[in-house]
Amino acid sequence: MRPPRLALKATALLAALGLSLTACGGSGAASPNTEAAQPAGDPVQGGTLTYAEVTPIDNWQTQAARFYEKANVLNSVLDRLTYFDAEQGKLVGWIASDFTSNEAKTQYTFTIRDGVTFSNGTVLDAKAVKANLDALGLGIKDAQIQPNVDFSAYKSSKVLDGNKVQVTLKRPDANFLRATSSVTAGLVAPETLKLDNAGQSAISKIVGSGPFVFASEKPDEEVVFSARDDYAWAPQGAQNPGAPYLDELVIKYLPEVAHRAGAAQSGQVDLVRGLQPVDEQVLKSGGGQVFAAQGVDLTTNNASVRIGSGQLADAKVRQALQVGMDRQALKDTVLSDSYVISASILNHKTPGFVDFSAELAYDPARSKELLDEAGWVPGPDGIRQKDGKKLEVTVASSNNSVVIKPAFELIEQQWREIGVKLVNRAADNTFLTSALVDDQVEFFGTRQFAYGGLGPVFGPANNTQTLNADEELNDLFTREQAATTEQEHLKLIGEEQRALVLDKALTLVLWDEVQVYGAHSGTHVDFTSGTAPIFQGAWKSGK
Amino acid sequence: MGGYIAKRVGQALLVIWLAYTAVFLAVQALPNDPVTIFLSTDAAADPATIAQLKAHYGYDQPLITQYLGQLGALLRGDLGYSLSSGAPVAARIGEVIGSTLVLAGSAFVLAVLLAVALVAAATLARGERLRRALLNLPPLFISIPVFWLGLVLLQLLAVQLGVMSLFPDGSALSLLVPILVLALHLSAPIAQVLLKSVQQVSAQPFVDVLRAKGAGESWIFYRHTLKNAAPAALSIAGITIGTLLAGSVITETVFARAGLGQLVLQAVTVQDIPLVQGLVLLTAATFTVVNLLVDLIHPQLDPRIITAHAGSARALAA
Repeated sequence: MRPPRLALKATALLAALGLSLTACGGSGAASPNTEAAQPAGDPVQGGTLTYAEVTPIDNWQTQAARFYEKANVLNSVLDRLTYFDAEQGKLVGWIASDFTSNEAKTQYTFTIRDGVTFSNGTVLDAKAVKANLDALGLGIKDAQIQPNVDFSAYKSSKVLDGNKVQVTLKRPDANFLRATSSVTAGLVAPETLKLDNAGQSAISKIVGSGPFVFASEKPDEEVVFSARDDYAWAPQGAQNPGAPYLDELVIKYLPEVAHRAGAAQSGQVDLVRGLQPVDEQVLKSGGGQVFAAQGVDLTTNNASVRIGSGQLADAKVRQALQVGMDRQALKDTVLSDSYVISASILNHKTPGFVDFSAELAYDPARSKELLDEAGWVPGPDGIRQKDGKKLEVTVASSNNSVVIKPAFELIEQQWREIGVKLVNRAADNTFLTSALVDDQVEFFGTRQFAYGGLGPVFGPANNTQTLNADEELNDLFTREQAATTEQEHLKLIGEEQRALVLDKALTLVLWDEVQVYGAHSGTHVDFTSGTAPIFQGAWKSGK
Repeated sequence: MGGYIAKRVGQALLVIWLAYTAVFLAVQALPNDPVTIFLSTDAAADPATIAQLKAHYGYDQPLITQYLGQLGALLRGDLGYSLSSGAPVAARIGEVIGSTLVLAGSAFVLAVLLAVALVAAATLARGERLRRALLNLPPLFISIPVFWLGLVLLQLLAVQLGVMSLFPDGSALSLLVPILVLALHLSAPIAQVLLKSVQQVSAQPFVDVLRAKGAGESWIFYRHTLKNAAPAALSIAGITIGTLLAGSVITETVFARAGLGQLVLQAVTVQDIPLVQGLVLLTAATFTVVNLLVDLIHPQLDPRIITAHAGSARALAA
């Protein structure tokens, strides 16, 4: 069923003008990032929302939800202790109605909300939270489940009177609270934690306290969830405090990128993730909607540097490449209006973000100067060389991002002008298999969830970004995690960004993480700071 | 006959064992063990966890123990555990194999029917133009990429006309269209070999004799030519099983269907090596079994194979 053509045109026009019709928005949990116009009106009760993810998955275990395919669905199945409100830029209560810490940031106390139950009837109390925190912090040996990387400081927790849980850490960690808002810290029923590995990985067996409950599945094709009518514990300030408007949520898969815009436009799905920039305008002008969900919880998209080959051992060379990239041209040629070019390794809306856009401005003359200073001089073919070696570098990345390959194709051209040859192996998953752990491959193009701050992403010796532990950086990370005041914490997060992006230039930043969704004309949905659709507050009009 | 069968079955078992060994050695040649590779896709895997997982799945054992242990398990139908889902590889394959069997099996049958129909029409066609047009169809079918045809048909039928779903919704069209896409591609080599073979047989003197005796063209074709030309097409049909599996990966992705093809893609993407290993073995076994069947059917079509040297069976057919 299609809405009248005139309405379509009007919506498309308004969308094109960037006007927002979201009269239903404005509350805490709403994300400010939805770009296209959503028709106004009161939420409609009932109906089934069909959502298409990119690829089917077979491991739904909570800690392993570091991929969008999992997190986007589990977000509506599992509640967390806290919730990050991107609009206010702060953490609010969810299953924890209140949370406090000692000054040293080594002890945190959570007050658990009363009246919350898992979908199997078990009460979600302090005891159940402790069982979950132990699983997150220590892993579950019998089920071969490893600890959550963002909980690496976790030591123990105990149940206190008044439905409270007190967590003790091995070392100070100012990011601990933020980590409890991640989907990877989703709370499951104590019964789920007792299952074996296969059991905890099966979506049919995972029991949560979230707004949607597993109903049925066809392996690799479809998962159906039904709404929980008695759900009444949405995050503080959520647009919809209670049960979902929808009756049912159906997850399907569209691995073929070419079908996504058509699927949303024709209404075969109400929402689809992974729209290509070229399809955005097509979908909008066809009466569909385009939503750009900003990944505030993630690092920006970046090419992190591995210095193993020696080509990029000199910081000057890395700095030359950093300013030898024309990010605006990248946005104009390869990306779309849904994308924001990076000004740091953190997203513009992430707490502590420092704007380095002036320092990162395209400056090929400065690039050449830096390369000259580093001793790399132009060779006969225009590619710089030093001691008989050419300045040739390679980038590896997965094919998860729809824009990463063309982006590096453009960067390849830009760097050729300053005399650097880039071998573009982006979106080559086979190459990535070995390149991911090979420090001879100079760049790894990616973005990472950063709930535990930048420390867990760039710190460990086997971190997949740089495959190297930088002592000065790690010292900075340790001090940041031990910060006792908000002000000091933010200041140190700023220093980390300066070190990573400018002084050491260990990561070349590209664009803020964003997930572009396509939607059918009547779909109303907001997104979390981790780009997950909030199905609990979603509804459909005109059906 | 008994000796021929025993020999062929023995050879098939040998091939499967060699395939197992080759896959095992290939895994050893990887830069790391399966657990480390699987966990390296994570931000930073904890070395203690890696060690514990390796011990749990037996990857810390000496190579010969792993080799014999996995081989023994294989004989019991146990393909190990998928690192991603934690479920047995055999169970994971069992979940989706039905979908692929329906798709690939139907596509194969349709491809053979299409090929025979095409060759019959081309041979019996009266007009030279029609005959030429029909003869050019197989090269056309093989030049159209499976993914392209699938995309175009879906764009047309599902998005533009809205008569079918982009997803496998159980409707007749959502099954028939992928089957047709796969079958068209598959029918081309079968048709081409059958056609060549039919032309060769038609040139033989016995056909002239039949004609001189007053037999009709279609009677000659169906009763004599086709029967004599069939072994060659059967051989090529056996080999196309490989194409069929590769085609399934693409077809399943384009049509968002569950199946072995999708599973291979998933397993490779998350670097779940035991699952990949199981799927490669299954593919090798399928290929071997189908070719074994072809070898066993051959003598029924051409009894000379039993009396001639066994190794020349394919040469004779070609």
